[in-house]
Amino acid sequence: MTKKNNNYLKDIMERLKSGMFFQYLVFLWKNPIGKCGVVLLILFGVMAVASFVPPLIDPMYHPMTGVDPDISNVTPPGFNHWLGTDYMGRDLFSQLLTGSRVAFLVGVSAAFMSMVFGTIIGMTAGYSGKILDTVLMRTADMIMIMPTLLVVLLLSSLFGQLSIWTIVLLIALFRWPGVARVIRSQTLALKERPFIDAARISGASSVRILFKHIAPNVLPMALLFMTFRVTSAIIIEAVLAFLGFGDPGTVSWGMMLQWVWKTGNMFQAPYWLFPPGICISLITLSFYMIGRAMEDMLDPRLRKEGIQD
Amino acid sequence: MDIKSFFIKRSVEIIVIFFIMMTILFLLFHFAPGDPVSMMVDPSMTSEDAQYMISQLGLDKPLLTQYLVYLKNFFQGNLGNSFYYGEPVIGIIGNRLPNTILLFTTSIIISAFAGVFLGKIAAWHKGEKIDTFGTIAALVCHTLFLPWTALIIIWVFGYKTGLFPLGGMLTPELWINPETNFLIKGIDIIYHMTLPLFTLCIIHFGSYMLIMRSSMLDVMGEDYILTAKAKGVSDKCICNHHIAPNASLPVVTSIGLSLAFSVNGGALTEIIFSWPGLGRELIFAVTNNDYPLALASFLFIAIVVLIANFIVDILYTYLDPRIKY
Repeated sequence: MTKKNNNYLKDIMERLKSGMFFQYLVFLWKNPIGKCGVVLLILFGVMAVASFVPPLIDPMYHPMTGVDPDISNVTPPGFNHWLGTDYMGRDLFSQLLTGSRVAFLVGVSAAFMSMVFGTIIGMTAGYSGKILDTVLMRTADMIMIMPTLLVVLLLSSLFGQLSIWTIVLLIALFRWPGVARVIRSQTLALKERPFIDAARISGASSVRILFKHIAPNVLPMALLFMTFRVTSAIIIEAVLAFLGFGDPGTVSWGMMLQWVWKTGNMFQAPYWLFPPGICISLITLSFYMIGRAMEDMLDPRLRKEGIQD
Repeated sequence: MDIKSFFIKRSVEIIVIFFIMMTILFLLFHFAPGDPVSMMVDPSMTSEDAQYMISQLGLDKPLLTQYLVYLKNFFQGNLGNSFYYGEPVIGIIGNRLPNTILLFTTSIIISAFAGVFLGKIAAWHKGEKIDTFGTIAALVCHTLFLPWTALIIIWVFGYKTGLFPLGGMLTPELWINPETNFLIKGIDIIYHMTLPLFTLCIIHFGSYMLIMRSSMLDVMGEDYILTAKAKGVSDKCICNHHIAPNASLPVVTSIGLSLAFSVNGGALTEIIFSWPGLGRELIFAVTNNDYPLALASFLFIAIVVLIANFIVDILYTYLDPRIKY
């Protein structure tokens, strides 16, 4: 079993390095859990792309500013509005589509940023060792036990209204430790390999060794761990929006839930309450399933590190 | 290193972490836009009162003195006055902290036991329908969006069927009445706690169950299980006494790792179910720009997390005697 997994691992690393993402997707497709995840994700991708269409048909379908002139209150689903409208007469279906776009934007960019931070910090800690290693890893431990959501809330009270990009940056700043730990352990193993010694003897600087020789080897692993960060980023953004600390200029699923909760339409309008929550849960599920499928292909022992979000 | 020195080492570590946290918060409050005076002193105070507050908090002194005054005040329990409630923060915290701890610990204990129990069943029946169904259910529950789940649960159990209250912690009429005895008060709290607890357990049991299942499968392949089978030990005994105790260790580790996650969830549940706890107070304080209360609730939540972490560590050494520190 272990040997098989090792072969899988090598295989995936080779493919990722040679840029053959297509074959890698085929790999994912063969795993039933991965398949479910990919299908769901494609669905949300279609939603995100489709979100550009409704405002083009009629300005009243604009998710934020478009108001149906004939409607002044919450209306159930109908021919003109497939999912009904909110209390201002805005179309819920087009809001739902836009939410998918925002979720992808926030999730992927925050995950990418935390991956970059995590990789750089993990590599530095693993390669330099000694005091720097201790300091960085202790910091990581400390950030790990902090409740991210509450910290971001506190910061938003201090710094006023947060824009969507500040939220993304904050999520990334608090979500790197998990990645850093994995990358550090990878770097520790890589450090002992002969080609690093060879580079050092031929006079390469530490920075060069880190970015030219170690980075390409740990990158595939970092990319795989990105999927879990996407999940937590989407959830944190949605919760912030739900509590009223989101970017007021964007329509996200969390925002939709906040509107239905705060305007007191929760019990009267299930067609407004259900869709955004189901979408958040499903997009989380899809990234989570893809992550698990990847872990199954990689070393199952890594599961303990990646699951906590 | 024996358990005693481990105990001491961990305690020192926790105190150091807490100091670092306090320092970072102090600096943040100082370098945030807007001056610290307007953040710590109630804008509605008269100027004499404000002057008194400023000198109490040392806000007219140099930075280092301010920091020392801040530390001293914290350990004397002088956390300033809440802008919103107009009372000392420490009283509000003291009032809310037990409620948070009650909800937090019960939810973690119940979901951990449920996760271990269900994970055990799923692993024992690996590949059967019950396993497939259980794993999918755990995955789905684990990824449910908490606020939405809470709203749905209120909608179903509170509004549609009317079985449980929509929120709060107590029935006021019952508590004002002097004839109500202790037992009824306890039942009243449990009655109000059911829905928030249910929400938290649904969200949390999934990850524990998945961890338990995979760790059970790992342990099942060990040699000593084969030995037990060869000795003729019954299946039930092997499952309950040979596999499950060893397999539940990773669950304990994951409880420690997911404490921060549970606290986030706890705060959200508190605010949706109007459970009078620290998390709800923190979110309210942040909404109302009530900085002293926000800061203090955050610090106390951090203390709860740190102590819980410590307890999990100790529990782990107790459960796994093989561990040497």
